[in-house]
Amino acid sequence: MKSIREQVAAWARTKSPWIIHFNSGSCNGCDIETVAALTPRFDVERFGIVQHGSPRHADVLIVTGAVSKQQKDRLVRIYNQMANPKFVVALGACAAGGGVLQNCYGVLGGADKAIPVDLYVPGCPPRPEALIDGVVKLLSGIKGVENAK
Amino acid sequence: MEMIKELLIQLFEILIYPGLLFLFVAALLADWIDRKLYARMQNRQGPPWYQPLADFVKLISKETIIPKHAVGKHLFRVLPYLAISAVVVCIFFIPISGSLALMSFQGDLIAAAYLLSIPTMCFFLIGWTSSSPYSAVGAMRVLTQFFAYEVPMILVLIGPAIVAGSWRIEDIAYYYSANPSMMFVNILGFIVALITMQGKLERVPFDIPHAETEIVGGVFTEYSGKLYGFIKLAISIEMIVVAALFNAVFMGGSLGLEGFLGFLLFCFKVLIIILISAIIRSAMARVRIEQMINFCWRVLVPIAMLQLIISIIARAFHG
Repeated sequence: MKSIREQVAAWARTKSPWIIHFNSGSCNGCDIETVAALTPRFDVERFGIVQHGSPRHADVLIVTGAVSKQQKDRLVRIYNQMANPKFVVALGACAAGGGVLQNCYGVLGGADKAIPVDLYVPGCPPRPEALIDGVVKLLSGIKGVENAK
Repeated sequence: MEMIKELLIQLFEILIYPGLLFLFVAALLADWIDRKLYARMQNRQGPPWYQPLADFVKLISKETIIPKHAVGKHLFRVLPYLAISAVVVCIFFIPISGSLALMSFQGDLIAAAYLLSIPTMCFFLIGWTSSSPYSAVGAMRVLTQFFAYEVPMILVLIGPAIVAGSWRIEDIAYYYSANPSMMFVNILGFIVALITMQGKLERVPFDIPHAETEIVGGVFTEYSGKLYGFIKLAISIEMIVVAALFNAVFMGGSLGLEGFLGFLLFCFKVLIIILISAIIRSAMARVRIEQMINFCWRVLVPIAMLQLIISIIARAFHG
């Protein structure tokens, strides 16, 4: 049984996911869909989702695209700059496992090759609804996580 | 016995009403109302009512990172609390539900204006101690913007003081309650005050210090967790305090009503000010820093001067 303090914190965490978007070598397809998801039409603020520019403010890191060897260090650095507890969503087929770029000479592979990933959203590119669904699922999932990273 | 009772009353006033707890609840509500209005103006649903509370609790429960390169680590920790305490102290000079403020002395209008500029100075220092390029640029913009909006703001706050013939916020509110028609003398000043309020609270179109598309998080780039939560709370509380100050100075305070009715009137007028602010926020885009300074010095300052002259003439005829 978790203490009341932890329960309140878990409730607040699920109701207020602030996201930061990072392009680790994407073709821009997923980026455009991410930006589309933040438009008034989809109204992600209903779920408390707000995009923040600084990694220090954000809770959820959204990675798009296969991780190229050059971008790997930057991705890890952005990840390390975020405050705990933090979550990572790999958005699109490339971020999930390398996609069509998986055997390229300059490509490391999916986002999980560089940083721990909590949730994969497939699609090439995934629709904004898929992204919103993914983030909401991630948050309803972390309620049960005993010791969030 | 009397002393203990007095002490308890003072503690109640400082901690609960109109002190910390009232301001905390009012700030979260104001934040939600502002975001909801903004969302409705964009034809979307908007956040649920508990959204600012969830944001605040989440930030409080998050890890707080003090960057390795921060210049003054103690300063880095203390500044958000300094900003919040300055705005909370400011509410004690402003009458809320009745015609009396908690503390009052001749010239407290100036004291309130200075207390309201302390958060801005804190934000400048916040950017400076963070020692990150984005916060440094943000800090410079905070200060540049401060010199642009502060002058017309103080100038228009002087207008009602001249008409009422007193530098006490209480007396000004009392004067306008007794002579409501004199409020129209200051209508020009009130418009200028509402525009400069957007600069003071760093909201669109004057959100240049933390322009997310240009300089990441601006001055607050390096802040995380608890400290960032308190910064956000300080800004929300500042919105309430500025609205309360405008209510007392330009809109006649409680208009003679006392107690619960006075409190309802206060809430209503603060809501109107938040509504106007949200309309400005949703109708405008961000301007560049030099456009903002040009606008403030070439348009707002002359209007504020004109308002001063009108106030002096009105005082000569009426007073």
